[in-house]
Amino acid sequence: MTAVLNINGISKSYGKVQALNNLVLQINQGEIFGILGPNGSGKTTTLGIILSVLNADSGSFSWNGKEPSKYDRKKIGALLETPNFYPYLTARQNLSIVCKIKEVNESEVDRVLSIVDLINRANSKFKTFSLGMKQRLAIASTLLGNPDILVLDEPTNGLDPQGIAEIRAIILDLASEGKTIIMASHILDEVEKVCTHVAVLKLGNLLTTGPIQSVLNNQEQIFVVSDNLDILKLTLSQIDGVSNITQLGEKVSVMLAEGKDSAYLNKSLFDKGIIASEIGIQKSDLEANFLEIIK
Amino acid sequence: MLDLLKIEYKKIIPYTTFWVIFGLFFVFTPIVFYGVGQFKIEGFPIDFSTMYNFPNVWNNITYIASWFNLLIGMLFVILTCNEFNFKTFRQHIIDGHSKTDFIIAKILLMTSFAIFSTLYLFIIGALFGFISGGSEGFASDNKYLFIYFIQSLGYMSVGLIIAILIRSSAMSIITFICSILAESIIRALIPDAIDQYFPMKIISNLTPFPTPDGMIAEQMKNSMIQETMSLNTTLIIAVVYIFIFWGISYFILTKKDAK
Repeated sequence: MTAVLNINGISKSYGKVQALNNLVLQINQGEIFGILGPNGSGKTTTLGIILSVLNADSGSFSWNGKEPSKYDRKKIGALLETPNFYPYLTARQNLSIVCKIKEVNESEVDRVLSIVDLINRANSKFKTFSLGMKQRLAIASTLLGNPDILVLDEPTNGLDPQGIAEIRAIILDLASEGKTIIMASHILDEVEKVCTHVAVLKLGNLLTTGPIQSVLNNQEQIFVVSDNLDILKLTLSQIDGVSNITQLGEKVSVMLAEGKDSAYLNKSLFDKGIIASEIGIQKSDLEANFLEIIK
Repeated sequence: MLDLLKIEYKKIIPYTTFWVIFGLFFVFTPIVFYGVGQFKIEGFPIDFSTMYNFPNVWNNITYIASWFNLLIGMLFVILTCNEFNFKTFRQHIIDGHSKTDFIIAKILLMTSFAIFSTLYLFIIGALFGFISGGSEGFASDNKYLFIYFIQSLGYMSVGLIIAILIRSSAMSIITFICSILAESIIRALIPDAIDQYFPMKIISNLTPFPTPDGMIAEQMKNSMIQETMSLNTTLIIAVVYIFIFWGISYFILTKKDAK
């Protein structure tokens, strides 16, 4: 795996407030990397620094192993905080300026406007757009030139449920093409649904980072019910690949090793003479895990 | 470089304020210039009858137009502040411009504004000159056009610094106008030997009150306060100031976060 972005010990403070404290991160090609954290945790500061709009107090970063330059940024599609366009220009005029800056062909404008479903409003002025349309135009702008790297700060901000689903579909689509996507969000659900990797920030400190499954402990839990819970627990402990056996009321919850599923568990119990009256799967409580991390 | 200028014009050609201000400049400069020439009072020591003749016309029209030069300066302040208000400055950095590109684009834009308004004055001046008299003296004294060009750059360079420092259009325009007033107040407290080098003084002195031979009675000419500095010296200092202003703008912009 090649590192697309390396962040080496970046710190940044605004006056007395330490916004980012010695952040170290590596983001590899093809990852959908979520930067997760509550408000004021340093997500936007991090993205601002790697996009060269904020100057870091110390530390460095590199795109594709090289010193950052404007030529790298031309090949990155990025949305930071709010959609920024000239209110008196139309969607098409605004995007054609971005095309000029990014040195991509202007035929790209219609392509990206179609993707975000704004092609019918291409000749409307930006100031006439609703918040959701502005956000979609900003997403369209990041797609100009079909960049291999996307940096998205709260991409579904201001969108209605349908819009959120559409944008997520677009992001997953891009990810399936092997693009690297760096996404900041305070919405856990969004990160969980979209990202492959995650870093959790709080008050400028990196709390944890890694593949999303391991960070958020997002393993499936299996619930088993049978007439005698004590015998059930004893039997479960003898089955290969079963761990974390805990009794929760009238149920026993277990975790299964990779490659084992509920059918395997059911068969193993049956082989040992236990008939489960109920077997169910439940995702572990992401939110509880997240709150545990940032506590 | 040319691409940077093309992008600037993509931004402003659909912008109404741009057309309104340049429209005012284009319409009012010849009207006011014509109007002043019709000014007749018994015993007034200025003879306006040769005002439009070559070569007097060059000094006269650049002096009249210099008041409208402030208008172009204000337009430039508004355009630069817009980049901060709309956060498009920040967005352009994200999209792949550098802060240096921003400054270069703005310098190219102000240069193109200065070229347009100077060319326009050349055309208007030439028309007035040819209509009112012969072509004699057409080629002399048209250094005033070049000086006007520098003055135009000077006002817009001051505007650039103010816009970059203050960033809000309303406050920047007020500061731009007040900087002229404030400087004259400060100048009143400082000996002439020093205050003649102040930037706004230098820039506004580029288009001196016209005193061509034969237009103003000798006794009035003698009673007027004569500038001690020659026009050439003023010009050189003005050019130095412009480069300093560009340098300061660049310095401020690169030190600050692109908010």
